[in-house]
Amino acid sequence: MNEQTFTDLARRDAERHLLAAVDESDNSRRAVMYLADFFSGNRDVFITLLSIIPQPSEDYFESEEERFRWLEEKKRLMEQKLAEYREILLDAGFDESRINVRLSVRHCTSIGDAILEEQEKLRCCIVVVGRRGISHSEEFVFGSTSSRILHHAKNCAVMVVE
Amino acid sequence: MQTPDGWSREAVRTLIAERLGPDRVPQKFRLITDTSDFFRVEYDDVVLLGDTPYLIKGYEKEGRFGLDDQPKYWVRRAVELTTGQTRIIKLVFHEEFETTVGEVAIKCFRSPKKEARILDLVREHRNFMHGRWVLDSAGNNVRILEFIHGRRYDEVVVEYGTDHYDYLHNFFPAVLDQYIELVQAIKFLHDHGEKHGDIRRDHILLDRDLNRNRWIDFDYNYLHGESMFGFDLHGLGNILIFLTGRGDLLVPDLYYHQRETFDRLWGEDLNISYKNRVANLQKIYPYIPNSLNLILLHFSFGANIFYETTDQMLDDLAGARADVRQLTGR
Repeated sequence: MNEQTFTDLARRDAERHLLAAVDESDNSRRAVMYLADFFSGNRDVFITLLSIIPQPSEDYFESEEERFRWLEEKKRLMEQKLAEYREILLDAGFDESRINVRLSVRHCTSIGDAILEEQEKLRCCIVVVGRRGISHSEEFVFGSTSSRILHHAKNCAVMVVE
Repeated sequence: MQTPDGWSREAVRTLIAERLGPDRVPQKFRLITDTSDFFRVEYDDVVLLGDTPYLIKGYEKEGRFGLDDQPKYWVRRAVELTTGQTRIIKLVFHEEFETTVGEVAIKCFRSPKKEARILDLVREHRNFMHGRWVLDSAGNNVRILEFIHGRRYDEVVVEYGTDHYDYLHNFFPAVLDQYIELVQAIKFLHDHGEKHGDIRRDHILLDRDLNRNRWIDFDYNYLHGESMFGFDLHGLGNILIFLTGRGDLLVPDLYYHQRETFDRLWGEDLNISYKNRVANLQKIYPYIPNSLNLILLHFSFGANIFYETTDQMLDDLAGARADVRQLTGR
């Protein structure tokens, strides 16, 4: 399947399209390994590996150049990670044509909401995320992306990999 | 000598004499247009910002991290020589540090740009400090703030009433109205995609000229996670606990002075961020309405659900305000 047919939404509606929302963390790697282990035998499963980098506020940097450099480095590292995750899926037997990689740098107040927007756009039937296992206090201050997705997802299943 | 802004030393000297009296003209002073090194801006120097000269006075202080009166060398009191008004001049100081709330580490940044942006946003808002910003000759974003005459709101509130019962029944209804107004002000920021960044009770001043509370010091930003406003909401919760309790109820104090009350407390009754403070105040003051106490419990260690937005909190506050009215008749 080529890029064009992969993005053919009508066709994908009839197939099983999983959205794996990942970052550079170990729990994301575990989620990808879980998918590799669990779904590599299914020939009609497609996976989009999605990573969202929130546009960093200008407030965190002394200059625009510094912000640009930070963002470029972050993109470079994430592209590297996405390539690694893709390799994990390929090694497990996924066909190249069944893997899509997507890196999105965007303004967002909630990464969870941004992931669900992508899910809706791509019409994925399952959203897969790793779980950081944060403390009660951390969730209080920072919130939890997996909790947000669990509570707000519509028209899809949510898989949280511990 | 004349600066690029057209001010000669003699003209500045004349202006100081006009505004403050001839005996207040410093023998020696420097005319500064580049404030990059704020340590070099000294008492009685004149800083030229835009087309306005400012006679620099002392620096401001702030209690932080448990230490009182830490000097803020980049924040200077000054006299605006064109008007004679007192101003607070905030010079550029980029700072990045980690603060911990409970065991949670939060990465914070001091950002002059952020404060300047918010000053523009809240220009017409009654519950924020006001001011303007200019770029000095080196491009530093310097904020020029109107001086607020008044005291810290928390220090005013703890003086209300003879005891907690008197406070809650006779003073707290007005305090709660003022608090709700302050939360609405933070909602205004959040609705515009901005955080306050450093919500603490000593960042609310009761302006005695205008008789209203005003948020100050919004130059911090923090690296947020999923919940962009979580840290701001955490600050709002701590302030509500303080206002409801007429001060913080500290566990050691209860242990030594109210042992029976202490024995009734569980870990889940404590503040989620500061485990030496009680959040479940109804256990100490049983007349606190349930609806109000339920809001406080959102900030307790036993909470299973947290506020994500000021709207959610304001909804609950409206219910609590109605119950406080029913209880107190006010």
